[in-house]
Amino acid sequence: MKLQGASPRDVPPMPSLDSIPVGSSARVTEVTGADATSLRLLEMGLTPGVEVQIVGTAPLGCPVELLVRGYHLSIRRNEAARIAVSA
Amino acid sequence: MPHAAATSSSAASAAPVVVALVGNPNTGKSTLFTALAGIPTRIGNYPGVTVEEKVGRFRHRDHTIELIDLPGAYSLVPKSPDEEVAVRVLHGEMNGVAKPDVVVVVADATNLVRNLYLASQVIEVGLPTIIALTLTDLAARKGITIDMEQLAARLGCPVVPVVAPARQGIDQLGDAILAAATAAPPPRPDIAPHLAAVDSSYTPPARDAIARYAWIDRLVEGVIVRRPPLPTVSERIDKVLTHRLWGTIIFAATMLAIFSSIFWLAAPLMDLISGAVDAVAGWVEGALPEGAIRSLLVDGVLAGVGGVVVFLPQIALLFLFVAVLEGCGYLARAAYLMDRLLVGVGLSGKSFIPLLSSFACAIPGIMAARTIENRRDRLLTILVAPLMSCSARLPVYLLLTAAFVPNVAVGFGWLRLPAVVLAAMYAVGVVVAAIVALVLSRTIFRGPPQPFVMELPGWRWPQVGVVLERVREAAVSFLKNAGTLIVAVSIVVWALGSYPKVPPPEGPNVTEAEIRGEALRQSFLGRAGHLIEPLVKPLGWDWRIGCAAIASFPAREVVLGTLGVIYNLGDVDPGEEEGATQLIRLLKNATWDGTDRKVFTLPVALSIMVFFALCAQCASTLVIIGKETGSWIWPTVTFVYMTVLAWLGAFATYQIGTMILG
Repeated sequence: MKLQGASPRDVPPMPSLDSIPVGSSARVTEVTGADATSLRLLEMGLTPGVEVQIVGTAPLGCPVELLVRGYHLSIRRNEAARIAVSA
Repeated sequence: MPHAAATSSSAASAAPVVVALVGNPNTGKSTLFTALAGIPTRIGNYPGVTVEEKVGRFRHRDHTIELIDLPGAYSLVPKSPDEEVAVRVLHGEMNGVAKPDVVVVVADATNLVRNLYLASQVIEVGLPTIIALTLTDLAARKGITIDMEQLAARLGCPVVPVVAPARQGIDQLGDAILAAATAAPPPRPDIAPHLAAVDSSYTPPARDAIARYAWIDRLVEGVIVRRPPLPTVSERIDKVLTHRLWGTIIFAATMLAIFSSIFWLAAPLMDLISGAVDAVAGWVEGALPEGAIRSLLVDGVLAGVGGVVVFLPQIALLFLFVAVLEGCGYLARAAYLMDRLLVGVGLSGKSFIPLLSSFACAIPGIMAARTIENRRDRLLTILVAPLMSCSARLPVYLLLTAAFVPNVAVGFGWLRLPAVVLAAMYAVGVVVAAIVALVLSRTIFRGPPQPFVMELPGWRWPQVGVVLERVREAAVSFLKNAGTLIVAVSIVVWALGSYPKVPPPEGPNVTEAEIRGEALRQSFLGRAGHLIEPLVKPLGWDWRIGCAAIASFPAREVVLGTLGVIYNLGDVDPGEEEGATQLIRLLKNATWDGTDRKVFTLPVALSIMVFFALCAQCASTLVIIGKETGSWIWPTVTFVYMTVLAWLGAFATYQIGTMILG
């Protein structure tokens, strides 16, 4: 949605939260999707501008554990993929 | 602000002040409920939904306060039946539930910003609102200080800090409730200015969420002060428990310990209960003359009551563990660790504990599925839970394995065939459950992906009061709601096995066991066995096995006892070594009516075992499914699909087994 108006080729694709390595942090730029899941992600505090740290992952790599707004949140990888971030 | 005295003067004896308790999950809401109201006066389901309604009453300064504990919610834009109930009660739209006079929002001080999200939505409902700030002690240790006067001033509603386990702030909260009952509601949060700053491409609810957080971020500026937290013991525990290797090992060890304690710790208690029921039965037999009434009391009513009460140790133990895990924050961690495995078959991480406990007994397992908020995941878990091989199947497996599976080595020298067969029986249940879950989630439960957005709460000590209350609730709800029905089913099956009466066989050498055998063979149950013989013959069974299978509808383990009676052994206890040896000898010698062809061969024994691994011969489980889902449709579905699968499985086992073994 943030890319509207600009040609996708002009702007490098924004990384999503599921591509951020464990231990590092990123800033949320956008939550894509218009369904209940995306709304729940926003309601849990993953709003644009907020800083998120990837704390770890479950043994099989999914779900991931996040530190957001001072609390720990677990979301699945496909949900993390909806969250665009900037380093 | 928190010290306002009761101001309503004349309302002392009037209608109670109705207070709704709302809050995010894991905020200590249950602890606060117990601290305020003690044991709830009413627990049940809201009409038409399977969401728990919990109401308590208490007196404060000569006023009666009715406390409605609303299910945990993250938002008033509902995404689950739980949240929908919360919204409807707050708006006074729930049938039979009075519109609240006051709302108490329980907010976790360690996580205030996200808790204020729900609080701001509650304030918009327009009722007098109080913020009860919990876990302030934990927040202090994490280096979080909250300026409560500022917070109250900016929100326009009272903020009362409480440490519920220590009863700190409980009186002040009571005072605040009485004061709020006659006060004006707080002003609506002014979100509009922030709304203009949000990208217009978001949906209206998404824009509201983003603007609301912007409003909260502004509100808490200078209210929440964070200092670097002191390194606490809890954080060191956290490091180990969330470690990818150690965390997983500790998790596996914990689950194994819980699973084996449900299995083994409950066993002596269950023996004690059976012993007590047997003693009462013995007393009744001594006190009453032989006849229909004595038989009804002993073999119908007492057997039924015993069959209900015997589940209590397992239910109590499991809920004890679940409440402790939930109380210290490990339940969410278990769901997190196991999610990936269960997602593969259409379930979720939260199905793990219910399914694990179903290996001990499906009843507490199905009841534990209450911890799954998502209705689809919850139903799916309940439907496949009875496929896990419970402890009632074990005697059936053990006896038939000991009798008919040759004790030979297979593959490697140390692996014996009976052990392989036993393991295979457990595997059959798991594999079939995975397939059923996969198929159901792709067909009748197909839908948009269900979010698995779950808070991982911090480590804390479980509250003894809350833990005991959970155990009490589970036990009471099982006895009250399922008990009567299970007893009724037992009486019906007793009647079918006892009527019509036939004249006992006569002769000089007729034994008591032969009389009982003849009575059962001539009863409705015996006739039903003959009736269904064409159905069970493809499984390699004669009518007697069919009859025993029908008789075991109340509980699987009954099948062995029934086989004993039907083969003129009288009442034997297949659990005792002597009884088992006698039964095995008898079964080995059983022949098809009018021939000398043996009934029980290895393929037949395997076919019976597979049938019992997959069938729904457990009235208690079906009753509990009906109770937990609030509908008779789901127990019917469970019974039909499991019986069909059991028949198909037994058929395939017998036919393939006969082909291989000749």
